[in-house]
Amino acid sequence: MVRATVDSGDAVIEVFHVFKRYGARPTLLDLNLAIMKNEFVFVTGASGAGKTTFLRLLFLDESVSEGYIVVNGINLQRIPGKRIPFLRRQIGVVFQDFRLIEHYTVYENVALVLEAAGHDRHYIPKRVRQVLRMVGLADASEAYPPGLSGGEQQRVAVARAAVGKPPILLADEPTGNLDGATAALVFELFAQLHALGTTIIVATHDRQLLEDAPGRIMKLQSGRMEIQQPCS
Amino acid sequence: MNQTALVSIFRRVKRNFWAVPHLHVAATGTIAFSLLIAGLFLVLYTNVNDLIAVWKKDFRIIAYVKKEVSAGQGKALRDTVNRMEGIQTVTYVSQEEALHQLRKQMKHRSSLLEGLQTNPLPASLEIELVHTDPDEGRIGNVVRTLEGFPEIESVEYARAWLRRFTGFVTFFRLATLVIGAVIFATTVFICSNTIRLTLYARREELAVMQIIGATDAFVKAPYYLQNILEGLLGSAIALGILFGAYYLLTARLAAQQVLLSAGNMRFLSGWEIIALLLSGITMAWLGCYLSLKQFTKS
Repeated sequence: MVRATVDSGDAVIEVFHVFKRYGARPTLLDLNLAIMKNEFVFVTGASGAGKTTFLRLLFLDESVSEGYIVVNGINLQRIPGKRIPFLRRQIGVVFQDFRLIEHYTVYENVALVLEAAGHDRHYIPKRVRQVLRMVGLADASEAYPPGLSGGEQQRVAVARAAVGKPPILLADEPTGNLDGATAALVFELFAQLHALGTTIIVATHDRQLLEDAPGRIMKLQSGRMEIQQPCS
Repeated sequence: MNQTALVSIFRRVKRNFWAVPHLHVAATGTIAFSLLIAGLFLVLYTNVNDLIAVWKKDFRIIAYVKKEVSAGQGKALRDTVNRMEGIQTVTYVSQEEALHQLRKQMKHRSSLLEGLQTNPLPASLEIELVHTDPDEGRIGNVVRTLEGFPEIESVEYARAWLRRFTGFVTFFRLATLVIGAVIFATTVFICSNTIRLTLYARREELAVMQIIGATDAFVKAPYYLQNILEGLLGSAIALGILFGAYYLLTARLAAQQVLLSAGNMRFLSGWEIIALLLSGITMAWLGCYLSLKQFTKS
């Protein structure tokens, strides 16, 4: 078993002896790893291996049972409740089921992030249009999510995750509901964001994607990080 | 919270309203109806209190003086009684004055009094108590002291009326409290359920907001704002209806020259109106608070 070495030099995420249990059932067991700034990391493993749980721990959608996690120098176990929204603004999240607000237009879904963060009202339309152009949905800004294809909805979700320029982007099975061509398009967006300096962490069990993975691959098995394949 | 966040919050208030308009109309209607009942009771209460104040002012104890007591002794007795605790004023009414007053009161039937050879009316002391609630125990003490004076023949006061009055005042205050509490609890419950249904309809949106880093204030503000507006609107509707009803009633009473006419009745004071508006807002706010608290927990 190869364990991640914890190197706090240029790490944006550090995980120290993390355990996560739901009742008596352990999901993550003694996780130790570090993810560097601007890394592209794939977390893989079978269904139920703990990939989603691991990502949820990173943006405090769940809390650890033991151990601690440091994100951008912030110890998540010590962060006051009021500071959690500010932490989450540093982490964009993309879900398999998109999680778009159906009665908001594409523009509103993306702009909400900036509105919640209190950005200047003149900046918001410019930035939203810029991101929608990047994901190829500039013409769909007034459309509602149910009127879009799965691939388009996922691109809106990527735009929403990226619009606040977070240093970290998490994606949980982002291509799970997409065909191969559309999945490649979404990954192209991740690559673009990575090129802009974003640290990307993708949880997936899509073999095709892993074969072409541009970054490190970590494998979760029975709650343990079993293999860490370095960048190819 | 800056301008962008405020604009976003107002937009969400509008959106929430149009998502389930019937619920918000129902909540506003409930607040209006509750405050209409509360306001009606308040108008009744203030007017009954005014009436009670008039009755209290007119409350007198009459101590009849024995016939053999001279006018000088009667006036001395008046001064003695005047020094007693709880006495506001004491007026000595001589036999002649009593007869004069009776003649004045019976001026249309003065023939009845023409055949009188002697003045049958006794002199009396009219005693007004210090203006507080007429309390039977306190009045009883004064009456017993008066009955102890040898110059006094008998003492009269509206005992039966006082008993009924005391009972009525107690009942009225209790009823006000109970009805107020029931109205308050019912309205808070309905407002809370309205918000709960809105939150349920918006649960996915709320989850997304938390993920994207929206603060608690940003997430919850539209719901508070919406409920406060509903509370304010409901209170205003209630006050409007109440004032309309008051205006029509007083106009009708004035036309029919009823005893309790426009001149005697009054609407709510400025402070009472503000209190009613604030009650509407408070009920709506509390409903929202309870609902959000429960929703956040779940």
